[in-house]
Amino acid sequence: MVVSAGVDMGTQRVKVAIIKDKQVVGKAQEFVGFEPIKAAEKALEEALKDASISRDEIEHITATGAGVDMATFADSTVSMMGADAKAGTYFFSSARTVIDVGAEDARAVKCDEYGIMQDFIVNARCAAGAGTFIEAMARALEVELEDMGALSLHAERASPINASCVIFAESDVVSLIHREEPKTEIARAIFDAMAERVSSMVKRLGINPDVVLVGGVAKDVGFVTSLKRRLGIEILIPKEPIYAGAIGAALVAARKAKRSRRQ
Amino acid sequence: MASEIEKGTKYIPEMAQTEIDDLNKSIKTASLKVIEDNIERMKKAWKNRPQAMEYFDEISNLFGKRQEEIKQQKTAGKKVVGYSCIFAPIEMILAADAIPVRVGSGWYDTAKLGDRIMPVEICPVIRSTVGAKMVSLSPFLELSDAIVMPLTCDGRTKLSEILADYKPIWHMNPPRVKDDPHTLGMWKQEIMVIKEKIEKLTGNKITRKNLKEAIEKMQQATKAFRRLQDLRKGNPVINGRDAMLVNQTSLWDDVERWTQKVNELCDELEKRVEQKEHSTYPDTPRVMLTGTPMIWPDSWKVPNLIEESNPQGLVVVDEQCSGDRILYDPVGVDEWTMSDMLDAISERYLMACTCPCFTSEHGNEDRINWIIDRIKEYKVDGVIYYVVRGCILYAMEYQRIKRVLDKMNIPVYYLDTEYTREDVGQMKTRVEAFLEMLEARMDI
Repeated sequence: MVVSAGVDMGTQRVKVAIIKDKQVVGKAQEFVGFEPIKAAEKALEEALKDASISRDEIEHITATGAGVDMATFADSTVSMMGADAKAGTYFFSSARTVIDVGAEDARAVKCDEYGIMQDFIVNARCAAGAGTFIEAMARALEVELEDMGALSLHAERASPINASCVIFAESDVVSLIHREEPKTEIARAIFDAMAERVSSMVKRLGINPDVVLVGGVAKDVGFVTSLKRRLGIEILIPKEPIYAGAIGAALVAARKAKRSRRQ
Repeated sequence: MASEIEKGTKYIPEMAQTEIDDLNKSIKTASLKVIEDNIERMKKAWKNRPQAMEYFDEISNLFGKRQEEIKQQKTAGKKVVGYSCIFAPIEMILAADAIPVRVGSGWYDTAKLGDRIMPVEICPVIRSTVGAKMVSLSPFLELSDAIVMPLTCDGRTKLSEILADYKPIWHMNPPRVKDDPHTLGMWKQEIMVIKEKIEKLTGNKITRKNLKEAIEKMQQATKAFRRLQDLRKGNPVINGRDAMLVNQTSLWDDVERWTQKVNELCDELEKRVEQKEHSTYPDTPRVMLTGTPMIWPDSWKVPNLIEESNPQGLVVVDEQCSGDRILYDPVGVDEWTMSDMLDAISERYLMACTCPCFTSEHGNEDRINWIIDRIKEYKVDGVIYYVVRGCILYAMEYQRIKRVLDKMNIPVYYLDTEYTREDVGQMKTRVEAFLEMLEARMDI
């Protein structure tokens, strides 16, 4: 029986997942704030509590995510794409493409049936294809982030947004508000613009079915609807997409623990 | 119109001398630090680094010994011929007793300077070279009495125009097609024009005797180079960065001395092969680099990333004009007549070159085939295709090469970047994921 933990040091939140015999038994998340290591320690503690497991029982901790270098407590690291591939096939065994849209970047991974990554693509340069874009636009629209998805679903068409850069799109949105365009249609335009960026990235990589969407933004019904429309295919979404990185890392940790037992 | 230009409308606007001096000093200091840091990292990567590498470490200082040597030789009457790309026939420069040096910049800080006047869409190699000229930073560019500029891409074409404000520029027009019978003839004429220009500059005639000597010198260099390359085919006894540094110093070092030092290094490495003294684990993923030239010292960020990554990778071969393309093919002469030698030089510089500036009906086949051959010979596990923003030829050629490599089941990763140190974190993520992938494939 292997007990392992995965820590995903994201740009906004730290996520921890604990795995026992290939089952997720505990998880927790914390905002990174100004002290990422403390946040990680706290999330780990919470996750252990959630799993009713003591820290000594954990054989191996693998870290991933943008802040992976800070995770000094980890026994090993795995790339975000490697973790995504593992998690995608864990959630859905049929998954062969995993799209991960986080706070500050978007990526897509192609993998085989064992969750081994075969190819990947990253958009880490521009926030227009990531969660921060929705946040900034929600601010501009003066709606709650959580409400924007549902709002967009009421739109019959999208307002025209030309700029795909966060800063310029924000001024586009402001002028649309001044022109008294309905908020629903502006919201839909925002998701469409973002889905356009993500889908063109994924198409560049090439799509192997089934496609899984993970990362915090996968919870946003507005983005998911736009992305489905853009890609023209069904997309699988796990119950808690935000934990994909952490679960993937925990699966890698389990494999490493088993391997070191053998040696 | 010509008179207007003579009046002094230079492309680069005038700058106050104090600003030039300040920038020159600060960028030079930064560059020396980067050089030192790169060497330190290479030393750290390998506790028992070959002693013969010390020489190349020394020559790697662009503002050091070699610059002083060239200055002295210039005072004694020698001429210096710079060249922007490896289409320039080095043998002819050597034959006329002139000093060949490559100009073209790998400095990130001067790229920022170039941004003041260059369009952002232009490749940073060009922007950086212009920036270096703005503050007279590049010692070899400054020392050149004339510069051979083969017009391989739009950036270099217009760069030649900008540099012409300061130096005599000798253009060369490499044909964009090499499988047409008449293009070699065109190219031979280009070579003949360069010959005349070198003779006029130096006052030395290129004769049968001195050209033969020059060709033989370069053949020796090629031989030493291939010896080093052969060592990279086996288990790792030299790190990729070390070999890349050796290759790149040939662009400004004295060719005979360089050849001798490479042979000394190879002697040392051959002993290591016998003693199985590896520079890294033999099962480290073997990476090939291709794409935009990586110019010392700043562009070392990519090989640094690969060889210091977790999991670690090893650069075993490259397909770059800043690396393995430099000296791989010797000039092959059948008979030592003047015309035969000139034919041989023309053929070597055109036919053996795998620059993406070429095209052919089914894609740039020579380059594709070259890459495939290297993958097999050097047992490459994966290819990193490095492109800087604005490097159109390499960027466009990627898809075709990827499709060929996909068929061969060789992973290839398109690593695009800029002349900046700020994206190292993001690039690390990408490089590590790629190496992780290679490692996972090796496990199966």
